[in-house]
Amino acid sequence: MLEAVFCLPLFAGLIAFLLPVKLGRGVLVVGALLHLQLTLLAWLSDFPPLLPGYFSTAPAGILVLLVTSFIFVFIAPYSIFYMREQEMQSEPIFIGSMLLFLGTMSMAALAEHPIVFWIAIEATTLVSAPLIFVNRSKKALEATWKYVLICSVGIALALLGFFFITLSMDRAGIDVPLTFSSLNTAAKHLDPLWLKIGFIFVIIGFGTKMGLAPMHTWLPDAHSEAPSPASALLSGALLNCAFLGIFKVHTLMVLAGLGDFSGSLLIGFGLFSILVAGIFILKQPDYKRMLAYSSIENMGVIAFGVGIGGMALYGAMLHLIHHSLLKSSLFLSAGNLLLGFGSKIVAQCGGMTRLLPRTFVSFFAGFLGISGLPPFGVFVSELLILIGAFKAGHPVAGGLFIASLALVVAGFARIVTSMSFGPSRQEILVPEQTLRIVSPFALLLTSAVLCVWMPEPLHQIIINTIAVIGGTIHG
Amino acid sequence: MINSIDLILVLILLAVLLSLGSSRMMALIKIMALQGAMVSLVPIFIEPQARLSNGGILFFQLMLLIKAVLIPGLLYMALNRIAIKREVEPLIGYHASLLVGLGLVMLSAYITRRMGLSLPGDYALLLITAITTTGGGLFLMMSRTKAITQVIGYLMLENGIYLVGTALTKHTHNIYLVEFGVLLDLLAGVMIMGIILHNINRAFDDVDTAYLEQLKD
Repeated sequence: MLEAVFCLPLFAGLIAFLLPVKLGRGVLVVGALLHLQLTLLAWLSDFPPLLPGYFSTAPAGILVLLVTSFIFVFIAPYSIFYMREQEMQSEPIFIGSMLLFLGTMSMAALAEHPIVFWIAIEATTLVSAPLIFVNRSKKALEATWKYVLICSVGIALALLGFFFITLSMDRAGIDVPLTFSSLNTAAKHLDPLWLKIGFIFVIIGFGTKMGLAPMHTWLPDAHSEAPSPASALLSGALLNCAFLGIFKVHTLMVLAGLGDFSGSLLIGFGLFSILVAGIFILKQPDYKRMLAYSSIENMGVIAFGVGIGGMALYGAMLHLIHHSLLKSSLFLSAGNLLLGFGSKIVAQCGGMTRLLPRTFVSFFAGFLGISGLPPFGVFVSELLILIGAFKAGHPVAGGLFIASLALVVAGFARIVTSMSFGPSRQEILVPEQTLRIVSPFALLLTSAVLCVWMPEPLHQIIINTIAVIGGTIHG
Repeated sequence: MINSIDLILVLILLAVLLSLGSSRMMALIKIMALQGAMVSLVPIFIEPQARLSNGGILFFQLMLLIKAVLIPGLLYMALNRIAIKREVEPLIGYHASLLVGLGLVMLSAYITRRMGLSLPGDYALLLITAITTTGGGLFLMMSRTKAITQVIGYLMLENGIYLVGTALTKHTHNIYLVEFGVLLDLLAGVMIMGIILHNINRAFDDVDTAYLEQLKD
């Protein structure tokens, strides 16, 4: 019963709303662990869905589900120790929404019917709104309002896109059930004009949610105002789910012989996102906003890699995994910094090496990783995307890619050095705590390990995801 | 049958134009209730036999309940708790908005003709209405600054998209379970927006989104 993967966190979340805080915290951690087990079951063994027309174990979805579930297991305990320092008024709501968020994201990952996928993505917006709003400041209010409104409108456009894809089916006189897999088998016969129009709406719609520029305007606000564990989830898990929608429709386009059209759109949006992120990171005064812009950059990298295809597609899937691991680790470290310094402004933080030595190590390592230095996985993935770009005959795009990435690294480096080695403050508000250090380090370690050794089933699922549209590891 | 569906579609179009020209929020909510009711009736009149057979009746009742009663009701409750009842300074004036609305109708008629679709039956007016409603909703969101008017714009956009779906796709694809999920999302969305609205009102003593400009680069 595949549906248990998302039903479990949904029920746990609803129950957590009613439970007292301490019990709710237990439910959060136990729910996360059970969810990981169910995910592993769905991945490694035969776990048929009850409603095969609506849900399936398509490899792309399983990959996203796996990443989501894995980082949630580390974020859940961290958020408990984080909330202890915060004296949050509405902690049951926070815990419940975290679990509901996990549930809706899993539902999106497993969805097989386009409209069911749409319902799940819209639901992720709604259940994550309380996570951003939980601090109840005026700024949080503004961020939540922008998030809900911009994303709802964006996703509404994606629904329009799905209607156009349905229309392309009707225009061609094909009568198959409306699922991604049956659309893929009938792809050759679909009406190309409406398919193209549908893809444009889908990339604008889900691109809004994924944070592709120029539809990214909500993202820095929401990611910087949310409490750090929620930011880690938004950045590490939610963006992947939105990407999944674009990827599924892109797969359909490639199979329908329109891969060039959708690929060039993805390359264009991807490069533009990296460039915009680079420009905004360069003078960024706020380190959480910097991390948010870095997410926009990395989503651009993934879109770019998928657009190019071939070996770059393998790189893009690797990048998806490693970005989630590293970025959630960075956001958790940023949470420790925020607790310690009490400010998100870079100029008011300094002397991290002396005051918060262990957080410094995790934050700095995360910075190295996300900038594409070994021994972390982003090094491999970006290298593969770059080689893929040059091999596929996109030298100009490849050059722009390198230049924009350099811009991001420059901005990132300025902020991290100033925070680590800059003029030291006298004291910190909340000292470091081992329990809040473990999670960011574990996520970093996973990325480093996956860089040198990849388990065979994981490798296999990436290959299965990309083989449909001609992605290979050998170029 | 054609006459009754045309009547409904004209009412929906009229609701779009009315909402573009009205400054009172209470009037806007009533217009939305009317439009919601009309939009839920459209599919019944398109293919009465196919629609009303298998379990459809229950679904359309639910849809009518949500679109015409529950959502306007939620907005009404939200409006009662806030101080400001009028849109005082829209970014684009009411007369200009009306003119834009008329322009939208013409543009939609042009698009519909250019698409040259073999629509089910003779429902060209349905597509015109659908595109106008979608565009009108987007325009309302962009040209007004009060948060509650923006929510109404969003609802209108959703109504338009639902109509596009009804106009363009064959009805064999529509599965009530799936459509119900979409409706549920919409209802929950309006509920969440209502809660945020209430908090905006408490924090700023107004629901003007012009106050929400602290976060930027």
